[in-house]
Amino acid sequence: MAAETESKIAGALHELNVQTIVSIPKIGPFDFSITNAVVYMWASALIVLLFYIIVARRLKKEPGGAQTVAETALNFATGHLTGQFGEKGKKYYYLILTIFSYIFVMNLLGLIPKPEFLKPYTPTANINVTFGMAIVVFCVTQFQGFKRHGLGYVRSWLTPPGVPTALAIPLHFIFFVVHVMGEFFKPLSLAIRLYGNTIAGHLVILVMIGLVLQYQSFLIAIPPLLFVIIMTGFEVFVAFLQAYIFSLLSVIYIETAIYAGH
Amino acid sequence: MDASTAAKLAAGLGIGLAAIGPGIGIGYMTGRACEAIARQPEAVGDIRTTMIIGVALAEALTLYAFVIAILLFTA
Repeated sequence: MAAETESKIAGALHELNVQTIVSIPKIGPFDFSITNAVVYMWASALIVLLFYIIVARRLKKEPGGAQTVAETALNFATGHLTGQFGEKGKKYYYLILTIFSYIFVMNLLGLIPKPEFLKPYTPTANINVTFGMAIVVFCVTQFQGFKRHGLGYVRSWLTPPGVPTALAIPLHFIFFVVHVMGEFFKPLSLAIRLYGNTIAGHLVILVMIGLVLQYQSFLIAIPPLLFVIIMTGFEVFVAFLQAYIFSLLSVIYIETAIYAGH
Repeated sequence: MDASTAAKLAAGLGIGLAAIGPGIGIGYMTGRACEAIARQPEAVGDIRTTMIIGVALAEALTLYAFVIAILLFTA
């Protein structure tokens, strides 16, 4: 009995399993096989790309439904979200808009219930995907810092000016270590926040469905059913909120590098 | 108690303990944000953005424990 129910709950958790679709031999330590995670990432990227291309191709004076959504997203990304960049970071407006749309579409795509043969998967529930995006933000941050300030960027990690020299020299060491660690923890926390939130939401829903599978009675089924419905609605909100937080924190990190030492 | 049972116990206890601090923090933050909005309703946009950033940073601490719990649970 115990082993049987365990396999049923494990079956409900199949949504979090990476399944290989096209196997490609490993090159060194890297595995380039096409898995369902990769397919869903491509699908999300394609949706974002096609949506903006199609909307941009048929711009009208009186916007229709899709154009209104795209214009709202663009205004949101260039106005509210990236307002702190100012003139200097203008070219990163669209990076942030892309990150925002991509995460939002990936989260929503993962929330849609899918039949078994589509091999359902949520790309953002995989730490490799979130870390990939966080590393892009990290590279942009460091590139901007060193390009705009040169070695002055490293100086902004040291003790702030105005401290007596005798005190500043030992403090330089502590400040430097703390700031370098902070720089590396920024992408780590970005990646883990998105991954943790997505996988936690999915796990809560799946555990509730597992409860139905375990007891197989209508009496038990009603509360988890209601809970799952409410939770799925909440997850749609979380999908937006996490995309928003990821892009907002990216903006703040890049902005601190652009205006380092101010 | 063998190692795998201990790991599962540690995973459950760890996530519960790690939720205490951020829970208090997020509650405090949201309460203060409500007070601020009640005092100055025209600044609601700025206050909300700042609050969401703070909540996200506090929430990350629990999620670190959550990731460790997953690692322990599958160990």
